[in-house]
Amino acid sequence: MAHHVTTREAAGAVRSGLFAGYGVPTGSYDETFAGDGEPRPHWRKVVQTLEDMGHGELAHCWQQARRMIHENGVTYNVYDDARGMERPWELDPLPWVIGPAEWACLEAALAQRARLLNAMLADVYGPQRLLAEGLLPPELVFAHPGFLRPCHGLIVPNDCYLHVYAADLARTPDGHWWVLADRAQSPAGSGYALENRQVLSSILPEALRDCQVQRLASYFAALRQTLHDVATRHRDNPRIVLLTPGPYNETYFEHAYLARYLGYTLVEGGDLTVRDERVYLKTLAGLQPVDVILRRLDDTFCDPLELNQASLLGTAGLLQAVRAGNVSVVNALGSGWLESAALMPFLPALCRRLLDEELALPSAPTWWCGDADSLAYVLDHVEELVVMPMRSGAGRDMVRGDRLSRDERREMVDMVRGRPHEYAAQQHLSLSSLPVWNGVGVQPRQTVLRTYAVAARDTYKVMSGGLTRVSANAGPPALSMQDDSGSKDTWVLCEGEPDTLTLLPPAGQPIALRRSGYDFPSRAADNLFWIGRHSERAEGLVRLLRSLLIRLNDESGLKSSTAFPVLFRAVQTWGFGHLTMPGNQPDDLASRAAALFTILSDPQAAHSVRAILGTLHRVAATVRDYMTLESWRIITHLDEDFNRPPLANHVERLPDALALIDHTIMMLSAFSGLMEENMVRGPEWHFLDLGRRLERAAHTTGLLRSTLVDADDREGSILEALLEIGDSSITYRSRYLTTLQCVPVLDLLLTDDSNPRAVVYQLVRLADHVERLPRDRAMPSLSPAQRRVMAMLTRLRLGEVEVLCQIGRNGRRGHLETALSELQADFSGLSDTITHHYLSHAELTRHLALTGG
Amino acid sequence: MRYRVRHTTTYAYSSAVSVCHNKLHLCPRQCRHQTCSFHELLLFPEAPVVSRSGDYFGNPVTFFTLQEPHWALTMTANSIVEITPLELPPLAVSAAWEDARDGLRHDRSAEGLEAVQFVFDSPYVAASPELLAYAESSFTPRRPLLEAVRDLTERIHAEFTYDPGATAVNTPLGDVMRHRRGVCQDFAHLQIGCLRALGLAVRYVSGYLVTQSSGPNPLIGAEASHAWLSVYCPGHGWVDVDPTNNMWPSDRHITVAIGRDYGDVSPIKGVFLGGGNHTMEVAVDVMPMPL
Repeated sequence: MAHHVTTREAAGAVRSGLFAGYGVPTGSYDETFAGDGEPRPHWRKVVQTLEDMGHGELAHCWQQARRMIHENGVTYNVYDDARGMERPWELDPLPWVIGPAEWACLEAALAQRARLLNAMLADVYGPQRLLAEGLLPPELVFAHPGFLRPCHGLIVPNDCYLHVYAADLARTPDGHWWVLADRAQSPAGSGYALENRQVLSSILPEALRDCQVQRLASYFAALRQTLHDVATRHRDNPRIVLLTPGPYNETYFEHAYLARYLGYTLVEGGDLTVRDERVYLKTLAGLQPVDVILRRLDDTFCDPLELNQASLLGTAGLLQAVRAGNVSVVNALGSGWLESAALMPFLPALCRRLLDEELALPSAPTWWCGDADSLAYVLDHVEELVVMPMRSGAGRDMVRGDRLSRDERREMVDMVRGRPHEYAAQQHLSLSSLPVWNGVGVQPRQTVLRTYAVAARDTYKVMSGGLTRVSANAGPPALSMQDDSGSKDTWVLCEGEPDTLTLLPPAGQPIALRRSGYDFPSRAADNLFWIGRHSERAEGLVRLLRSLLIRLNDESGLKSSTAFPVLFRAVQTWGFGHLTMPGNQPDDLASRAAALFTILSDPQAAHSVRAILGTLHRVAATVRDYMTLESWRIITHLDEDFNRPPLANHVERLPDALALIDHTIMMLSAFSGLMEENMVRGPEWHFLDLGRRLERAAHTTGLLRSTLVDADDREGSILEALLEIGDSSITYRSRYLTTLQCVPVLDLLLTDDSNPRAVVYQLVRLADHVERLPRDRAMPSLSPAQRRVMAMLTRLRLGEVEVLCQIGRNGRRGHLETALSELQADFSGLSDTITHHYLSHAELTRHLALTGG
Repeated sequence: MRYRVRHTTTYAYSSAVSVCHNKLHLCPRQCRHQTCSFHELLLFPEAPVVSRSGDYFGNPVTFFTLQEPHWALTMTANSIVEITPLELPPLAVSAAWEDARDGLRHDRSAEGLEAVQFVFDSPYVAASPELLAYAESSFTPRRPLLEAVRDLTERIHAEFTYDPGATAVNTPLGDVMRHRRGVCQDFAHLQIGCLRALGLAVRYVSGYLVTQSSGPNPLIGAEASHAWLSVYCPGHGWVDVDPTNNMWPSDRHITVAIGRDYGDVSPIKGVFLGGGNHTMEVAVDVMPMPL
């Protein structure tokens, strides 16, 4: 349906300023302006305030807001977005304003709908009377993939299945409200609504106050109360966790944000384990019992034992723990069944039967094709309808009839006719519009409002606000957040003073001091350990590469320096054994350069600097909530720098490569500096630095072994390179001037515990870290990791550098070889000990082979 | 008849398993013609928590968790069941299959609703035009339901080859149809798909078969898990049929569990952490006992 946009020209109403030239689509309902061009009464104050601000001030405020969104890292992940995993959240500065009287009606209607849906769940997962009474067709239960048989008969606390409910609402040209879709498993968006409000309250504080806008906090307070009340154990202080599918989920930002706001630990399925039919969180301090799980994971993924076997995201045995009454899951598992639009035609009768009330808020006209008359109607009116599979609600897998070609339409009709009970169709509605600001002017955009309700004793508490979504262009907005659309803050006005509830502790109230944080999941420790290892590995490799690059030519430009082949052998041990040693003739310059380009930035090479930085970024994304904003930015930038079009693999581009290497070294140093200076010395820091020290010790040992074991008469240039890689040239010169000898160099890089680059220094730090790791204090002896580090440290300190440097008859430093290879083996053993002892949860989940007859 | 069943399953892992969670359908359910007078489950290593309950279809189900590292796991289910021979209604007087189909459509009685849930597609069995076409030559208009079922069973038995190497648990029905090969589970799924394509209610039955070898000197290990199906015949209730052996089960089929398909009633489902590679051995003995 095409909308003809006409400029409003109602008598005397042509506005100037912000809303000048705003055109309302004919035949549609504009939320802000009435037919006479005047703002609707509840909008007057807001429109006035915005007009007083004008474009200039709004633009200024808006710039601040955008910066805030960027800096808070508000993103929305889109699986196949070419811009990468994260897309910044789109927020429009103009709010949607809803008046108090209208809101009171919506509020009551939404609470009623939530009560109705909850009663439906209680019936379907209980006595199933609705089927026997003919109020629900059996297909909608038994043939519905969302009806999860293992969840039937589960006992839920307080008879509440649906704790959190969301509805997508829209208004048609006649001014009526409709529900387009019900969200009943783990509704997304409330965190974005909160974030939108925080951004707007920082740029339009007076407007918010003057217009008497209701606050959102009381909704979240009710949510916290509800989660607290559903705990069956530890009722006075239950452990509540927010279960996320992980950083690759589209709304991961929101999960992390809400967890922090509500004060719960953010966990993935792998962080939880079921023992004795109870759920535990794996933390460094051991297993901690979990009482309530607020899930953002679809129900079929929650338990690979009884639900979707292919799920890697859930926790095996969870359902049995629920059955045993030891944990509460919010919303109850199986609630996804409700999201199906096919249920909508049955709601009015169900409402009468279950609540003895008339349904207050109608669903958008919807037909379930399993009914013969409905099927006939749908097949006749395909072009006015949105057709969707039975299991889904609006927004997912839906097909708009008017967008189909004749062949496609015929194909769809055949499909529906073949299995009519598997389809539903919904009237395609024309939605109301709101002004959206594009920096220079305002334009009308169609809009949908997602509203939220949370169970509160016998009824539901509705959020005074919601997440408004507007279409990206003149068409209707997408219902799913996966699609490109913008968002707005939603202002619900009140009569009188808005409540001033906030979840943050009041300023005057004293807070009990703590010296440690809350539960620290082992998974986070594991990932921080690997961030330490990867960042250090990247630094080690670029430093080695830089030394290679500047030794590509000797002064004559014809041959590479004598150190080049030795250093090249060293770099081969970093996973480049397959690269052949380039020749040493002038013609071979190109092949030498090519090898270095491979190590630096070849997208195909598994161990290149580029690959390491990519991995670093991915691992860091999983523990973003433990990192400072600056350190996260460095990691993102580094990965981006390497993901630009790759450096042309050509000798001419060597200076560019060198510049990139220098830049990378700087950024990585900044990263280490931030960690060193800004991280509290808690378990987070110990694991990160543990990874870093272990990696530096291991690769420094490896470097010394591959360069110094075979003695060379012209060793000077190699020693010089080693000092350079170890960032120790200046120290060396200040101590020994320019005489380069193996003994002092080895001392500086191996056994000098005042040099932060020396292997022994890493061991000193490691000893400190393993000492502080949580362990069973009842055990009298040292932990295996402590014992190992101590033995290595002692051995290294007792070793004499002079002896290590002795050259045997075969021209090799045999003692050095033995000592270094022992050290290398010890470091890898230490890494295993730590991983095994603290991080052993990272095991693969498997299924037993199936047996058959 | 009375039988003693011993069903032993052993898993061996190449490295230690730290935790495993299991869901078992190994305890024979009560049926109209069958009672289970004794059942025990022996686990090695022993599990600290073993829970028994009933699943959605009324089958007994056992959950247990091992939470200490282990390298092998043996589960032995011992059961004693008594079976009275199933009586088959006269085939020719059963309702016309169309009436059986249409009767279900508006039946909201407890029995009707119980049956109607088995009309629809399930994860392992989706009706298809192919299956419908295959079924239709047996289901001629107004043919008595059980006569048509017998005809279809005979055709499947004659036209499909029993071949344990041909399929795996996850082989799709389309492949079985194309290659005309499979095992009892495939044939049960196939016939279920055919009958559901016609709009009939059919359920999957998993259990054991008492083979000829179980005489006075039974061969140990000669039996294994078996699968067949059960079709809803209004007026008579559920009638079992075994396409693998082309027969109406009577008192030599021991029912363990019923469901929509294999997925609902697989004898052992397990999820474990660690373990590396694993191997599995199964042995089933069925021995007649004096009444």
